[in-house]
Parts: sequence; C-alpha cells; structure tokens
Amino acid sequence: MYNLFKKSLVHKLALCFALLITSVSVSAQQAPSPAQPETVWSNPLAISMVLIIFVLLIVIILMGNVVLGTAEWHFKKQKDNGNFLKAVTILLMLGLPSIVSAQDAAATTAAAPLNIGGLSGTTFFMLLAVIAVELVVILVMALFVRSFIAKEKTKVAAVTTETKEEKTFQAFWDKFNSFRPITEESKIDLGHNYDGIRELNNRLPAWWLYGFYGCILFAAIYLWRYHVSHSAPSSREEYTMAMQTGEEQKQAYLAKAANNIDENTVAMISDKDQLDAGKAIFLQVCSACHGKEGQGGVGPNLTDDYWLHGGSIKDIFKTIKYGVVEKGMKSWKDDYSPKQIALLASYIRTLKGTNPPNPKEKQGDLFTESAAPAKDSSAVVKDSAAVKEVKASK
Amino acid sequence: MQMEKFSYDNGIVKKFAIATALWGLVGMIAGLWVALQFYLPQTSLNFPGTTFGRLRPIHTNAVIFAFVGNSMFMGVYYSLQRLCKARMFSDALSKLHFWGWQSIIVLAAASLFFGYTTGKEYAELEWPIDILITLIWVVFGINMFGTIIKRRESHLYVAIWFYIATWITVAMLHIVNSAELPFSWLKSYSWYAGVQDALVQWWYGHNAVAFFLTTPILGLMYYFLPKAANRPVYSYRLSIIHFWALIFIYIWAGPHHLLYTALPDWAQSLGTVFSVMLIAPSWGGMLNGLFTLRGAWDKVREDPVLKFFVVAITCYGMSTFEGPMLSLKNVNAIAHYTDWIIAHVHIGGLGWNGFMAFGILYWLFPKMWNTSLYSKKLATNHFWLGTIGIVIYAIPMYWAGFTQADMWKQFTDEGQIKFQFLETVTSIIPMYITRSLGGALYIAGAVMMVYNLYKTAAKGSFIANEDAEAPALEKINPAKEYWHRVIERKPVMMLVLSLIIVAIGGLLELIPTFLVKENIPTIASVQPYTPLELQGRDIYIREGCYTCHSQMIRPFRDEVARYGEYSKAGEFVYDHPFQWGSKRTGPDLARLGGKYPDSWHYNHLIEPSVMSPGSVMPRYPWLYENDLDTSITPAKIRAMQTLGVPYAKGYDAVANRDLMTQANGIRINLKVDKITTPANKEIIALIAYLQRLGKDIKLEKQRVTTASNQ
Repeated sequence: MYNLFKKSLVHKLALCFALLITSVSVSAQQAPSPAQPETVWSNPLAISMVLIIFVLLIVIILMGNVVLGTAEWHFKKQKDNGNFLKAVTILLMLGLPSIVSAQDAAATTAAAPLNIGGLSGTTFFMLLAVIAVELVVILVMALFVRSFIAKEKTKVAAVTTETKEEKTFQAFWDKFNSFRPITEESKIDLGHNYDGIRELNNRLPAWWLYGFYGCILFAAIYLWRYHVSHSAPSSREEYTMAMQTGEEQKQAYLAKAANNIDENTVAMISDKDQLDAGKAIFLQVCSACHGKEGQGGVGPNLTDDYWLHGGSIKDIFKTIKYGVVEKGMKSWKDDYSPKQIALLASYIRTLKGTNPPNPKEKQGDLFTESAAPAKDSSAVVKDSAAVKEVKASK
Repeated sequence: MQMEKFSYDNGIVKKFAIATALWGLVGMIAGLWVALQFYLPQTSLNFPGTTFGRLRPIHTNAVIFAFVGNSMFMGVYYSLQRLCKARMFSDALSKLHFWGWQSIIVLAAASLFFGYTTGKEYAELEWPIDILITLIWVVFGINMFGTIIKRRESHLYVAIWFYIATWITVAMLHIVNSAELPFSWLKSYSWYAGVQDALVQWWYGHNAVAFFLTTPILGLMYYFLPKAANRPVYSYRLSIIHFWALIFIYIWAGPHHLLYTALPDWAQSLGTVFSVMLIAPSWGGMLNGLFTLRGAWDKVREDPVLKFFVVAITCYGMSTFEGPMLSLKNVNAIAHYTDWIIAHVHIGGLGWNGFMAFGILYWLFPKMWNTSLYSKKLATNHFWLGTIGIVIYAIPMYWAGFTQADMWKQFTDEGQIKFQFLETVTSIIPMYITRSLGGALYIAGAVMMVYNLYKTAAKGSFIANEDAEAPALEKINPAKEYWHRVIERKPVMMLVLSLIIVAIGGLLELIPTFLVKENIPTIASVQPYTPLELQGRDIYIREGCYTCHSQMIRPFRDEVARYGEYSKAGEFVYDHPFQWGSKRTGPDLARLGGKYPDSWHYNHLIEPSVMSPGSVMPRYPWLYENDLDTSITPAKIRAMQTLGVPYAKGYDAVANRDLMTQANGIRINLKVDKITTPANKEIIALIAYLQRLGKDIKLEKQRVTTASNQ
C-alpha cells in the first residue's frame, strides 16, 4: 500500500517536472530573441497556475502522509478486530484515485507538445485540468481522513472530554509535523547528555523536508530560465519593455487628451485660475533659484527685460522643458507635463515689470515683444568682471 | 571512575553580561536619536559627531558589535565551559578578550564620532581597529579551542558546532572585506573598487548578519532554551541537516543586496536562488527551538525567560522567511532603498537578537548570583513593553516603505513622474514619528530590565567560581559510530569542514567577478577623480552621506526619469570604496553632477530647507569653516596609484596645483552668484565631487556621437 502510493507520488513529481521543462523548452523555441519573451513564462497567468499546481502537489504529498498514517492506524484496529476483508477493500479504494489521477494527468501532457502556442486554449486547459485533478485528489483524501477520524471519534467520544475541534486540530497538527506522542519520547531519546541537555531524534517534519526540496527545485528552474533558456527577461530587457509600455501608454493618453503642447504650439495663457496653478509650481520648485518673486538668486532675474535664452512664451517654455544644463538649469520635462510647463511659462511672463525688491543684475539680451525670438546667445553680461574670470578659468 | 574537581569561571560571564546591558542601552539610545532626526533635523545639533551620517554608523556598530557581540560572548563563555565540562582554557585570555573587545568598542565609537570611516556599511572601522579586531578575535579563538581541546565531554554539542562555524567564518569575512591600503595613521582606501567592492562588501555585510547575528545566537538558543524549559532538544537529525545546510547556503546569498544594480546578472541570480533555498535551513533552527518546547507550553505562560525566547524564535522565523521573499526581484524592486528594509532588519534585531539577549540575561543573573529574579512581574512587563514596541516600530516602517515605493513609481498620464522626491519623504513623516515611539517603548523595557537585574544581583551573592566535577575524558574508540558522531569528536575536523563549506560559495562568486573582464565592461570616457574631487569624495564618505543617498540608478522607468540614465558597471572602476548606498532617505546622487549650479549646493548644504523647503537633511556648517587639508593630497594620489588608478607618474607632486586651479574655478563661479568664500574650504572640495558625479558617461555619449559624425 505504502509503496503503491509512493510510486504514484513519484509519477506525479516526474510529471510536474516534465511539464515545467517542456513548457520551458517550447517557449524557448518560440522566443528566438530574448528581448521579446512572448512565452508561456512571461504570462503571469501561466506562472501562477504552475505555482498553484506545485503548491497543490505539496499539499497532496502532505495529505498523503496523513492519510497513510491514519489509514495504517485505522487498519491496525480493524485487523485486530479481525475485519481483514474490509481493510483490503478500503486499501484498494485508497490507491485507486491516485493511479487514476496520475493517468489523467499523463494523458493531458502527452497531448500537450502537439499544439501549444503562447497561452493557447490547450495550454490553459491542460494546466486547468492538472489543477482540477489535484483538487479532486485532495478532496478524496480529505474525505478518507475525515471518515477515519470520524469513526475513531465516535468510539472515543464517550471517554474524552476534549472538544471535537481541538481534537481534530491536534491530530492534524501532530500528523502534519510527524510528531511522536510525548509518552513515547523515551524511545527516541539518543541518550546524549550535555550539561543535562538530552537530545531526541524526531523525524524531520515532512512539510519542512518537501518544502526544502521545493526550494531547490525553484532554484534550478530559476537559473534555467534566466541563464540557460533565457525565457525570463534580464534586468536590461525588463527595462526596455517597461520603457516601451510607458511610452505607449503616454502616447495613447496624449493622442486622446489633446495635451500635446510643445515649444512650437504653446500660447500665452491668461486665465487667472490657471495662472495660479502655474504660480504654485513656481513657488514649489523655481523659487529656490529664481526667488519667490522672480527677482533672481542663484538663477537669473525673471522680472526684467533681459533674457539669456529668449523671453517669448515659446522661448521660456523651451528653456524650462529642456533646461540649460551647463548653467545649472535642469530639464523639467520629466517632472511636469507640457500643459504644466505652459502654465509655468505663462506665469513667468506675467512677472515682467513687477520690480520686486533686491533684483539680480541684468543678464542677457534686451527682449521686446515685437522682436523676433531672441537668438539663443551665450551669456553676454555687461557688468560683471567675475564672468570674465569664469571664461579665463575654463 | 576518577572524578576530577574543577570550577567554572563565572566572573568573565558577569563582565560580558554587564557590558551587554550597558552597550545595549547605548546602542538603542543612539538608534532613538537617529530616529528623531528623521522628523526633527535640528536634533543633529549642527555638530559633526551627532549628525545622522556619523551617528547612524555608531548606532549600527554599537548594536551589532557591542550589544549582540557582548551577549554572544556572555552566552558562549557560560555555555562552552559547561558543555565541555571544563573551565575556560585561560583566565588571562578571557580577560584580554573582554578588555580588548571593550576597547575596540570605545575606539570604534570615538573614531566614527570624529568621522574616521571606511564608508563600507557595518565595516566602517578604520584599519588600526580592523587589525585590533583580528587580534582579539584570534585570542577568542585560542581560548575557545583551548577549552574544547581540554574538555571532559567526548562529543561536541550542537551549540559548539555553531560557535566554531561562527568563529572561522567571521574571521574569513573580516579579513577579506577589510583589505585596505592605509595612506595615513587613521585612513585607508578599500583595496577593491566599484562593482567588486560592492560584491565583497555585501558578501561580508550579509554574512555579518548570518555569522555574527544568527549562527552564534542559534548556538546560544540550543543551550539556553532546553535549559530554561528543561526539555530535550527536539531533533538531533534536524540539528545536523539545518546546521550544515545553513552555513553552506548562507554564504552565497550576499548579492541579493545588489539586485538590479550594475552587478552582473548571473551573480544577482545566485543571490536570489540561494536566498530562497535558505528558507528551510533557517526554519529548521526555528522548528528545533519551538518544538523543543513541546510539553512545556504551560511553562511558557509562567516564565518570562521562555516568553522572550518564544517571541525571539518567532521573529527569527518571520525575518528568515521575509528575507528570501525580499530577494525575489519583483519584491526587491519595491522594497530596496525604502524603509521596508529597516522594518525587516529590526524584526531581526529587536526581536531575535534583543529578545534572546534579554531572555539569557534574565536566566543567568539568578543562576550566577544564586538567588531568584528580583521581580518576575517587572520582567513580564518588560516582555510586553518590548513586544508592543517591536510592533509599533515595525508596522509604520512597512507602511512607510510601501507608501514611498509606490509614490516613487507613479507616473502621470502625460508620462511624467508624479511626485517630487521630497513629497515622498514628507508624506511618511508621521510613520517616522510613530516608529520612534515604538523604539522608545522598547528602550523603556530595557531600562526596566537593567533595574531588575541590578536588584537581583544586589539580593544574591555572586558565585565567581562555580564548583563542578566530572570524570576525565577517556580515549574512546567505538567500533561503529554514526558518521556525524565521528565529526563531533574531532573539533579540528569540524573547524576545517566548516571552513571548506563556507569558502565554496564565497570563492565561486568572488573569483569570476574579479577575473572575468566581461563582468565589468570598460567605458573609455570614465576618468579618475581630480585631486579636488578625490578630497571631496573623502568628505562625502566622512560625513556618511551614503547612509541616506544612493549612487546607483536601477534600470527602471521611474528611476531613469527621475535621476537619469541607469548606472553601468564601468562607471565605478575608480571608486575605492564604492558608494552605492542601501537606503534612499534622500534622492539618488549618481547623476547629480551638473544638475544644479555650484551656488545651489553651497546654499543647500548650509541650510537644506532654503533650497528644498521641507527637507529633513541636516545642516553642515562646519564644511564652510574647515580648511581643506591639502598636505595629504600627495599621499592619497600615491595610494590610488598603488591600487591601480592611472594617474600619471609623479602626479602626486603636482596634484595640489591642479587642486587649487579647480577650487579657484568654483570660487569664481560662486562669486558670480554673489557668494564670497575662500577657495580652500572643505565645502569647495565637496561641491567639486558632487558636480562630478555621473558626468563621465555623458562625455562618452558625446564622444560616440562625434565619432559617428566623422
């Protein structure tokens, strides 16, 4: 009986492994370029289904142990009562479902390599079938355990004072961890004595051991996928994909949102509320360098008529968007949307002539509304000897 | 059989016990202090030694090497004598070990306070202290092995296996990671650079957790838990399997600290899979601990010592499950650089290490003073206060981690990053406040313990030398013995086997990274730092900037949008030591160079909240007063040349000329923005370094473009 069950376990393990390997190799064939791993393995559904299969398998193995344990103990009682025939019948019944299930699963995998495509219907139903079979096995085993425990319970119900639930949980817990009753402790005492500390030789809890095997299997598959079959993306490939998706999402949004302002199309906004939104951004980030009122500081004065990079709305938009990195003005296009930059540029235009206190000296060219967009000249500073030193030092 | 009479040395255990309690309080209070600085930046007192960047290494080093270190020695010195049925090999060595270790701690605290640091996390101590640590560690080893050799017990108990593995592995880690080239009496440069330095550092850093905070404490658990519960150890078989599996697998897992960095992918994957495989061996220890309590759970309800042990072991189980989960790439992508990691390590630190130490102290004091605990009720209250403290500490930190990672990764529909970095910090300030409350509760509990232990000692009388007797060890040669029992009779074999087992993982990861060229593709435009930048870099390291700022942009859409092109392995080849960092309380700085004008940095470092309102960064006023020490420049250049940095021959003699030219340039730049400062101040050097960060690769792009245009 025990061997029989073990055998089917081995079958199942092998099957599961074969399943993993075949899908890996199949997907590897389908993905000649690792940059686009459009495979079963890049499909989160497939991965989670295989994971479920694996977890259920562990549950089956664990429950198998519990069923075997309870069965052995149950039949021992039965045999003692001389009810041998009945025992054999139950034994057969126990073995049957696992064999059947193994064959079921085998049939589905055999068909699998014939037509698999991405997460096609076949793959999906195959995985689903395996899960279903596993669920059935678990259900059957649960029923067996229940019937064994229930029969025994009715016998001991009269003498025990413990509640049903406690008893069931305790039994499950003990089986789950392969506990020996404390009363039998002397049998597994190794006789070691270290400063009064004794050592028992309890079995390894099955769930722990199979969990360990599971982790090792995970490690093997992980390394296989990332470094042999290349069916999982490397960090760089992940990055390329994320950028692609991000760009697509952005384009899709912009196409709809009519938010597509750039330095050629931007126009002055004069709506008061909208300008206030621009002002809020200005105070939050720009004021650190350009002063709260635009009078300048680390950065140039924005309230006078002189501009280093042009004073038209389009020029200002462009300066904010791309920055003037060599002079310390960063590019803000990744921080703010074109719409926000337009608001900001418009707000800055409104600062002209406000004459705040402590203005920074004039820098750049005189800009007048009628003039053509100022050329993007390099700094022409009239009154600072220091700047000449800058040039000299560079 | 002839009984031999001897005595156990309790005096040395008492010394280590007092040191444990004392340094525990110091380390925890330093922790609380740095926690306050997250929402009250003024608690840095504008003083170099009490600013986060220097205080945080004092906290981590004090807690790891002073608190847990002393608790480990306390437990080892108590249990080893009794498990070997022998007094310590040499009382003189015991004393030398104790006073040596305490002086290391004092020197460490002082040197970190004054800014002498290597800039490598948990290995911050400079080279003279590194040498002292090595010597004292050898003293400990001789004393331990001497005791084992003269034992009166034929076989070594599982606790001793862990002590042996701890000793040999820590020695290996410390020596390899501390390879550094001194250029002055108190300063050195790491022997390794960039990617290789990062790998060695995290191989060390991860295994400092493994072999300083885990294996010795598991050894203590194997002694003190069965003693306190008076129950046999659950499974000898499990001990064997989980011990060997644990030490073999642990050593490989270091690269999980470097997922998505410039470390080669194959090394990252090894880090991930070995971390996952580590779950079972770690849990083996937890199970052997908790299942030992089978049949003694009624005692747990009564006994505060067992209460501490149970929570400690549970915390151990939780963090050793969480660790492997954090090693999965998709989880790590969220958790790395955030407070999630801080929560994770504090489950281990406060829960596992702290509670084990507390439990052992509560058990040892009544034993050694031959009395009962002064107040069981107070101890139980300590237990509850500590447990609640851990919960109130951890939950806000997890929350902060999730929140911040989520905010970092959000994009607007238009494709811009949604939140400025500063917004992600200010939004988690309430969590920082709550966390410090949790920490305060935990410290309050520890204070109660110190009082309780003091009262216990006061009412008892200390047994300095505990009499014992045991038969002399006979030469036994059993015909047939279980294979592992054979090893247990041979301590040297155990030592050698442990060394082989732990050396495998390290060698297989380190050697290819050092030898195979493809692992670090060279970038032609990456040049050595100028003398001024090098000086600035040393200031950056001295002030512990790496404790809050990373220099490693991961290949994620959000990080590239926020910080710039993701970091490449070839960019760090002259970084002795690497400064990738592990936490982003502030933004990444890998591509800071050229992002802001010099004057921005000047204004920012003197009062960060002026340039970024709401910033929690401390002020650095002393950088504006201290003159840059240029007398050391030639020595620094020569050291770098020895390490293989290609400065021209004889450059050390003229380095200061270049340094002054560059410093003057920055002075002039500042003058344009109406800032007047002499060129010889430390701030100038720091600005030079910050303006260099990540720039070289931009030159590479220009070079490639010009080349293709021609």
